[in-house]
Amino acid sequence: MRPSNSLIAIVLFASMARAQSARLPDGQPNMQGMYTRTGVKGLESEPPFNPIDPGEKNPLSVSNRGDGLGPYPRIFGEGGNVLRGQQARAQRPTGIVFPADKKLPWRPEEEAKRRQFLLDMNPPKDLRHIELNSRCALPGPFEGEDGNNPYTILQPPGQVVILYDYNHTSRVIDLNRREHLGKNIRLFMGDSIGHWEGNTLVVDTTNFNGRVAYSREIPYLSDALHTVERFTVVDENTIDYEVTIDDPQLFTGPWKVAGAFSKVSKGVESLEFACAEGSQTLQNIFGTPPTR
Amino acid sequence: MNRLKQSIAVAFAAAVMICVADPSAPAQTTGAATLPRTADGKPNLNGIWQVLNTAAWDIQDHTGQLGVPPGQGVVEGNEIPYQPQALAKKRENYAKRMTADPTETNCFLPGVPRATYMPYPFEIVQTPNHIAIRYEFAHALRTIPVNGSKHADGIPPTWMGDSRGRWEGDTLVIDVTNFNDETWFDRAGNFHSDALHVVERYTMTNADHILYEATIEDPKVFTRAWKMSMPLYRRLEKTVKLLEYECVFYLQEERYKNAPFK
Repeated sequence: MRPSNSLIAIVLFASMARAQSARLPDGQPNMQGMYTRTGVKGLESEPPFNPIDPGEKNPLSVSNRGDGLGPYPRIFGEGGNVLRGQQARAQRPTGIVFPADKKLPWRPEEEAKRRQFLLDMNPPKDLRHIELNSRCALPGPFEGEDGNNPYTILQPPGQVVILYDYNHTSRVIDLNRREHLGKNIRLFMGDSIGHWEGNTLVVDTTNFNGRVAYSREIPYLSDALHTVERFTVVDENTIDYEVTIDDPQLFTGPWKVAGAFSKVSKGVESLEFACAEGSQTLQNIFGTPPTR
Repeated sequence: MNRLKQSIAVAFAAAVMICVADPSAPAQTTGAATLPRTADGKPNLNGIWQVLNTAAWDIQDHTGQLGVPPGQGVVEGNEIPYQPQALAKKRENYAKRMTADPTETNCFLPGVPRATYMPYPFEIVQTPNHIAIRYEFAHALRTIPVNGSKHADGIPPTWMGDSRGRWEGDTLVIDVTNFNDETWFDRAGNFHSDALHVVERYTMTNADHILYEATIEDPKVFTRAWKMSMPLYRRLEKTVKLLEYECVFYLQEERYKNAPFK
């Protein structure tokens, strides 16, 4: 396989930014368009030591290798800089907004496991300790590559659909459904049901598979995870975002992160982000698997 | 062996679905007035769709084999007009099909039109200016501008192609170019080059059926254009949702379960 096929490109192109009507034919507030996301990293006041740090100090850091063999060739991270969203509005508090001291309510034994897990990720002890991004798997709803990549929101009747530029990920939020999927159906992206409260889309998500990370420092959440997200349409260019993370298996209570989606200041089109098709990451880390 | 079991399981699942689905074939012509429509007056293609055929195994007529359900092909006239050298390559592909099909061996993106007739459902997300198609297999995704824009120039070739949509009356036409030469059309080794050009036509024939046609052009491989056509069936289960078939992830769990190797 040619490593050069491994990905990407973001091309500046036709304009999507234009005036849009406030309501769609099915009554939904209109938030269609392409956005970047900021503020949602779950940075704790006492973060754990994370050897997979963007500081590139560790040569084995799979996410930051500069040789183009990792899943993110260097060009990739530049997209978000080019596409920086409009920032006209004064910033609200972002990051962890509850608890106010930014100390997550880890169960003590789970906090210890988490810290050990991070150490075991570098070098990766086994496949379980490889971050999902390096496996080209669906990233879950939170870890959209640091928010550097655009998200496109489409609103067909009865749904809100979020298309991530990252790894051809997408997510459907059903507005006309009351019940979640059966409990034996487990998903990377979870099962999302939403409803509008005025200009706020409230999304309830369950059925996670216990594999998705919140961030590099919160490398997994359990399958008991239940999230409630609030997307508030502030104006034509801004969506305030807040997510409540409730994972009783790992935490003694819920915590909240806030951020924002900002409409991109230049119209762009996303091109293909093929990941597994060119990635040599696992071979580079573990060696070549024996042929069956 | 696992591969074989998987094939049998998928074939069985397809057979079960055939039993429960609406048995009536889609009408070729239907009163356009009866089609469900979006607010902008287009046929409303939103929803979850799936084929009920065996094109994923072989797009041409084929007899059953262990793990391969028999099927009538989806190629009009059944013949694929290969150039002589290309026909030899197709036969070579067929001989090594159990290990050389990029999609089945490595879980790579299936390309277009193959994504349509993989034995997994897909979801159409339709808005006036953009249509997205989400495929359950490998979470493949196409974002298709329907805004008069032209194909992008000077970008690297892709697995799923560069898609531009337009409406011709009630038919959604998607022009797809900029493919790489790494995907096959099926598990039987039918293939193309990077000169592939696909024109897809989605014509809704009634609320629950779409006639899907794909015209294939590739001057490096074929002597003329040729066409596949097949109905798409709406998945009518009340609670149907597109789930996740994370092929790459599952394959890694198998290949790297005893890692590290060095």
